[in-house]
Amino acid sequence: MRIKKRWIILFLLPGIALFCFVFLITTVQVFATSFCNWRIGGEISFEGINNYKQLFMSDDFLSALKNNIIWIVLQSTIHVLFGLIFALIISRRKKYSGFFRTVYMLPNIISSAALGMLFYNILNPMYGPVNKIVQFFGVKDFNVNWFADANVAFFAVTITWLPFAAIVALLVIAELSAISEDIPEAAVIDGANELQLNIYIKIPLVRNAIGTGTILAATSMLQKLDILIMTSNGGPGNKTMNLPLLIYKTAFKDNNFGLANAQGVILIIVGLISIGLINKIYRMNDPI
Amino acid sequence: MKVCKKILVKILIFFFLAVTLLVTLGPFLWVLFASFQTNKEILDFTLGFPSGVQIKNYTTAFQLAPIVRYYFNSIFVTFFGVTINLIAMGMAAYVLSRFQFRGQNLIRLLFSMGLLIPGAALLLPLYTSVSAVGLYDSMWGLIIVYVGFGIPQSLFIISSYYKTIPKEMEESAYLDGAGFVRTYITIIMPLARPSFATAGVMQFLLCWNEFQFALTLTTGDRSRTLPIALYYFKSSFASDYGAMFAAIVLVSLPSIIVYIILQKYVVTGMVAGAVKG
Repeated sequence: MRIKKRWIILFLLPGIALFCFVFLITTVQVFATSFCNWRIGGEISFEGINNYKQLFMSDDFLSALKNNIIWIVLQSTIHVLFGLIFALIISRRKKYSGFFRTVYMLPNIISSAALGMLFYNILNPMYGPVNKIVQFFGVKDFNVNWFADANVAFFAVTITWLPFAAIVALLVIAELSAISEDIPEAAVIDGANELQLNIYIKIPLVRNAIGTGTILAATSMLQKLDILIMTSNGGPGNKTMNLPLLIYKTAFKDNNFGLANAQGVILIIVGLISIGLINKIYRMNDPI
Repeated sequence: MKVCKKILVKILIFFFLAVTLLVTLGPFLWVLFASFQTNKEILDFTLGFPSGVQIKNYTTAFQLAPIVRYYFNSIFVTFFGVTINLIAMGMAAYVLSRFQFRGQNLIRLLFSMGLLIPGAALLLPLYTSVSAVGLYDSMWGLIIVYVGFGIPQSLFIISSYYKTIPKEMEESAYLDGAGFVRTYITIIMPLARPSFATAGVMQFLLCWNEFQFALTLTTGDRSRTLPIALYYFKSSFASDYGAMFAAIVLVSLPSIIVYIILQKYVVTGMVAGAVKG
């Protein structure tokens, strides 16, 4: 028995060590130093909630926070709806289903740096096909600089992730295929049409999958640094700034470490609140 | 009336799928075609097949940026990022799903807590930690970070598979006098191969595609990975469109190939890895 105990510890050790290095020490550091004045090369000194005060008075931070919240809401609603509709169509198992499932996944498979680069070029005002196609269809002087025009930049950035709901779709499809055949059949015998079948029978049964998908969609909005760096870089002004990019800039361009970690704390809190809310809305802990 | 409605639904579905296809596949095909075109052809927007397939853009891309070096780095980082993650999490998942001991639930909780922390919040602390142990601008620094970020997902995928393996399998091995480690390596690991494949593919995608830590934990060409090559093109060689497109293709292709070949595992992994946050 004693030997086994030793092995248990040894088997857990690498995982725990890696976890501590990557998550635990760092998370503690984020919280602790968010209350400190800490710049590159300088001493760390405690200064209470100064960083937070500074944050909530700074336009950069407030617009990053606002944009981030808007993106979370859009992603938890429209994006999830796309995925749900896609899943309901594809799960009818037509000949084309497999092909569409594969293709829809592509934007989620490649590096999002590459995806950002792809859109940066697609929407390029000089040679990008989007503007060229609009010009081809008659609007000769159509020349929108998507990522640099303050009126459309937010929209342009949003469409680099909003339509690509393959993961939501995947979760829903998996759950749909687990529904026993009898339930939809009984509904059809009772005279339900396909729309009623979807809305009253299938969607409520896959509530948990939709909830999980919504959480993933919402929290993915707390990770979008790469796409922004590749496309608008937060601009013009702060029009497309989000928290991850702001953290990156505060830490590695302004070298204000304490402030960057205060932003990190806010990012973590925004994530926790989103997860909590979505859990509540979808009553994910209740049985179906 | 009913027929009308049916046709309308069909049209709507067709429209939805057509738009989906256009926005997902369209950009890929355009970049692929454009990567074989000359700068002039790109500016004139000649849709369709390039005038003659020329690989000049690809050779230029290789000349402009140290893509070969970045490829090597990406392969190195991904190989060790996947292997170490699978070894460490395979072991941890085994004891967590097979044995009862004090602190078990705490460890499980701790590991899944990783899902609640957005990576971007840890950009700076990981930079300081990695620098503190002397691994800044080293591929090993990246490897450790990627192995760590894959913990929750791999643990969940592998341990839920272990639970489906009947206990009798190891009990008979123990009776035959096999030790703890030997039982794990010769009985459990081979049986759990599919879950290692699933977790491995997911971990591959994580390591191969990751951008933000590759950007902040390295500097210079010595240890930068492929996604950073794109950043390089965007900031320095943005006027050589063809080469830029070639670079996009070169970066994306491995992920797409792995996905097409191992689609079954990717799909399982995405569903299984979506642990309730």
